[in-house]
Amino acid sequence: MNFWEIGKRNLKEIYRNPVLLGFLLGMPIAFMLVFIAAAGGAQASPIALSIVDEDRSQNSSAFIQYLGHVDAIELNQPIYSEESQAQVDLQDGRISLYLLIPSGFQAAQHGNQTITLELIYKAADPMTGLQLKPVIEAVGSQFLGVPPPLNVELKGTESEIKNPAVNFYFPGIAVYGLMILISTAAGIIAGDRERGFLIRMFTTPAKPWDFILGYSLPFIPVLIVSTLIYLGVGMALGLTVVGNLGHAFLIFFLIGLCSVGIGMIVGSLVKSESQTGISWIFIVPMAMISGAWFTVDRMPSAIRSIAGALPFIHAIDASRAVLNGSPFSAIVLDIYWLVGWTVVLFATGIMLFRKTMVS
Amino acid sequence: MNAVQTFKLTKEFDSLVAVNGIDLEIHKGELFSLLGPNGAGKTTTIRMLCCLLKPTRGTASILGYDVVRTPFAVKKLIGVSPQDTVLSERLNCWENLALIGKVHGLSSNEAKARSKELLETMGLMERAKDQVRRFSGGMKRRLSIAMALVSNPQVLFLDEPTLGLDPQARRTISEYIAGLKGKKTILLTTHYMEEADSLSDRIGIIDEGKVVALGTPQELKTNTFQMRTMVVSTGNLTAEVISDLQQRYSRLEMSKGRLKIYHKELNFQEIVDYLHSRGVAVYSAALEQPTLEDVFIQITGKKLRD
Ligand SMILES: Nc1ncnc2c1ncn2[C@@H]1O[C@H](COP(=O)(O)OP(=O)(O)OP(=O)(O)O)[C@@H](O)[C@H]1O
Ligand SMILES: [Mg+2]
Repeated sequence: MNFWEIGKRNLKEIYRNPVLLGFLLGMPIAFMLVFIAAAGGAQASPIALSIVDEDRSQNSSAFIQYLGHVDAIELNQPIYSEESQAQVDLQDGRISLYLLIPSGFQAAQHGNQTITLELIYKAADPMTGLQLKPVIEAVGSQFLGVPPPLNVELKGTESEIKNPAVNFYFPGIAVYGLMILISTAAGIIAGDRERGFLIRMFTTPAKPWDFILGYSLPFIPVLIVSTLIYLGVGMALGLTVVGNLGHAFLIFFLIGLCSVGIGMIVGSLVKSESQTGISWIFIVPMAMISGAWFTVDRMPSAIRSIAGALPFIHAIDASRAVLNGSPFSAIVLDIYWLVGWTVVLFATGIMLFRKTMVS
Repeated sequence: MNAVQTFKLTKEFDSLVAVNGIDLEIHKGELFSLLGPNGAGKTTTIRMLCCLLKPTRGTASILGYDVVRTPFAVKKLIGVSPQDTVLSERLNCWENLALIGKVHGLSSNEAKARSKELLETMGLMERAKDQVRRFSGGMKRRLSIAMALVSNPQVLFLDEPTLGLDPQARRTISEYIAGLKGKKTILLTTHYMEEADSLSDRIGIIDEGKVVALGTPQELKTNTFQMRTMVVSTGNLTAEVISDLQQRYSRLEMSKGRLKIYHKELNFQEIVDYLHSRGVAVYSAALEQPTLEDVFIQITGKKLRD
């Protein structure tokens, strides 16, 4: 149980250090404040959406009606039946974007085939489309999951996503906030090495994994508290949790552990506290390609596959899906991915640490 | 089996040879002091023995366990007080001691009892519950030594334990270390020669990474200087007496009534009797014993080390 003793020591060193503690717990709060500014407050106005219904079927009009019940969306009237007219209006600035329901929508739904909905917006103004996309995705999957004709029960779900922008941005902001733990965790190890305390501990029988676990342990309460702060403040700001809050918590907790694991690796490799600045070379690009700040849909496929191999995008996508109502089965692969990364990162940390115990 | 055994132990840092083929044998229960000028390689040697540094060449073992192949077996047996005081700054004395003690396998109660004993010895009981970052340098030093001792290790490495301590604390710690003699094997480094002289069973002097002298304090003193010296304060020395003495003894120094005689063997009584017989007044006379510091300077030279 040496790791427990080392962990207790590290926990005391952290909670007796007001500056560090303030940083660890203040960071989630500060991040959420930035987030309010970015999301424009809790009361975002609904987005005006025009619709082109090429299918003109019973199902497509039911879907349109369904969309009309979503608070975040304000449907423009009339509904276009030809795309060409919508194109002209978009070009002339009378509308800002439109959703294309292709002909074959009803047939595809009956045949359980993939349905592609297109959201067309002006290239000069991508943000509205980006904000709307997850809403349409969530609403669409809810709608399509139910066989026609629509029954009244569905109307109960209509107002669930109060503020789609908040639901869209929140997971990325929270995951980025947790990624910062990479540099914090690395800094704590590197600082103890630089001041000689770790070297002294290396003359005791403590094993490499005692150190890695001992240095990660104090982050567990930090992770729990900061995830709760993220979710709590997020919900106070208009975040709608349609899915299971526990699942969302689990995802944030796991990505936090991954970050701590990466921090352990960085902390094993660097010689001094100042060198942990290196972790930012990793954090910022990873956050960027993982969709922490903006969507990755438009990135080159090579970059998307790099991001897809890393854990962060899985945490962001899965938590966004859960918040928007996806069941556990839809995110289980992402969870496996996160657990797998956690295990690999900690194992690597222990291996690297073993090497640095003897210089 | 020796407590510490090294064979051609060598450490090179790039082109610098910090430790150059040291062969050491420290017996169980022995207090062995490693002396040497700054940069001689004392700390580097200790760091290899504590499994912190990998030897470039050669081997070392503690109670039969090789430091490279079985580091964790070695770490269970040793207690280390590093040259630089390092503590967990936001823990108090009890917590610092408990951490080291428990990582060495002590139970909570054992750690507490042992800590109490050491805190009393080191005079830290009054401040035991304060975070150690508020301690003075000497207090930190004393706690650091206590941390080396808390696990009751069989082999102790004390790298300049009394550095920066006031005379009272130094005396207390010297006495405590003396009390451990025979029970523990201790490898000590220090720049206080009197301390090494009074505490050590044997002393190794190292310079530029090599052992240049080895033996008991007494052996070092007798073997280092070829000549004995005697100092006599006299009155009315005559030229005749002086030339007589110059013939009998290897060397003679005189200054203001003080006569210093150098020779391989000196007989105190014989010299005093001779001077009396020639009517020379002898006010005081003493055979001079070289100090360990004389030995140290003689062996390692007067030049400052970089
Ligand atoms: N990590 C290191 N990298 C490079 N050189 C080193 C390193 N550690 C020690 N040295 C060098 O090795 C030599 C021996 O140093 P060491 O610390 O063993 O001396 P010491 O005998 O303990 O001296 P002191 O009495 O000053 O403590 C010195 O020249 C030192 O500069
Ligand atoms: Mg030294």
